[in-house]
Amino acid sequence: MIDFLLAYITLTLFGMVFLGIYGVVTRSNLIKKIIMLNVLGDAVNMLFILIGYRLVFPVFPPIYEEHLSFEEFLSRAVDPVPQALVLTAIVIGMAMNILLTTYAIQFYRLHGTVDARDIAEIMGGENE
Amino acid sequence: MKRDVIVAVSFLLAFLFIAYAVTVENVLGLGGTELRPLGEFYLSHSFAHEGLTSHSPEVVTAIVWNYRGFDTLFETFVFFLAIMGAFSVLRLTSEQEKIVKELEASEPHRHMDLITRAITKLVVVMIVAISASIALHGHLTPGGGFQGGSAMAVASLLLFAVFSKFTIERKGLTVKHTVSAYALGLALILATVLAPVFLYGGKVLEINLLPGEMGLFNLDVGEYLAVTFGFLTVFLVLGVSEWIFKTVLRGEVDD
Repeated sequence: MIDFLLAYITLTLFGMVFLGIYGVVTRSNLIKKIIMLNVLGDAVNMLFILIGYRLVFPVFPPIYEEHLSFEEFLSRAVDPVPQALVLTAIVIGMAMNILLTTYAIQFYRLHGTVDARDIAEIMGGENE
Repeated sequence: MKRDVIVAVSFLLAFLFIAYAVTVENVLGLGGTELRPLGEFYLSHSFAHEGLTSHSPEVVTAIVWNYRGFDTLFETFVFFLAIMGAFSVLRLTSEQEKIVKELEASEPHRHMDLITRAITKLVVVMIVAISASIALHGHLTPGGGFQGGSAMAVASLLLFAVFSKFTIERKGLTVKHTVSAYALGLALILATVLAPVFLYGGKVLEINLLPGEMGLFNLDVGEYLAVTFGFLTVFLVLGVSEWIFKTVLRGEVDD
């Protein structure tokens, strides 16, 4: 049962990753592109957290408490490394989001559109 | 059209291949009961051993600020660059700021109804308390400066939605103040990072030389200030009404 659930969650997350890539590539609205980029990033972060998880019950967060013996803590705590990496990734994602949305808003104010095809036209590029 | 089909089929094949590798071959090592050696090292060295520890029972914070401290420092730098990039894209000259102020003053003072305002005041106080607790206990419990700051940013967004940017600025919180507070947070981080060098003759970021949990605490508070006021800066600049902004830009074009 637990194996099935794990495989199911993993597959769903990979599905989300591919959905995110598909959305970023095919949507022409910049806001939709940013949303799909967020879906992609969140799915990857979730996958990272899942990699650090252990199939023991009960499983502890990686916080040492006084009443625990050290061996018990080591045998029950989850892996802290992916969590630390995801923490960094979230901050960078947030910074990226701020910048992207600001550019999109400013472009909308200046030119009245956030459609990638219109932007290509306004910027004088080729429009397929 | 043919290209689309090729792209779709290759996507599907890649998806099936990766799904097979992950779920059947288990290349990621999901669902094991064993710890990876790296995780075991961090779990066993962050608090339990004497000597080179980060004084934090919270292993993730210990990794973020002690073992991977440079990483977090540069991450703060990236965040600073993003905020300043947004700020400079949306910048206004001092003359334009004056026009914005005049237009905002002439705008009729609209606000939401009494129930919304009263509840928001209550909720914002709660959010501020919770975000402060997340940030100030960041070295003991799950959380930290960035998480607390993000929670605080939600409170400011709520204030923006229910009251307005104009109300907040009239109460005395302008972009100058938020940028100053942002700089203060960054200065606190810098001081904490450099303190071991000048006080104890250690190296940069050797915060376990500082007494007790002071190093981690200061870094968390600094990050909290930086994130909160960084977000507030962007919100204040973004909060200029659309028609005011357009009027100002049009004035620029006419000149």
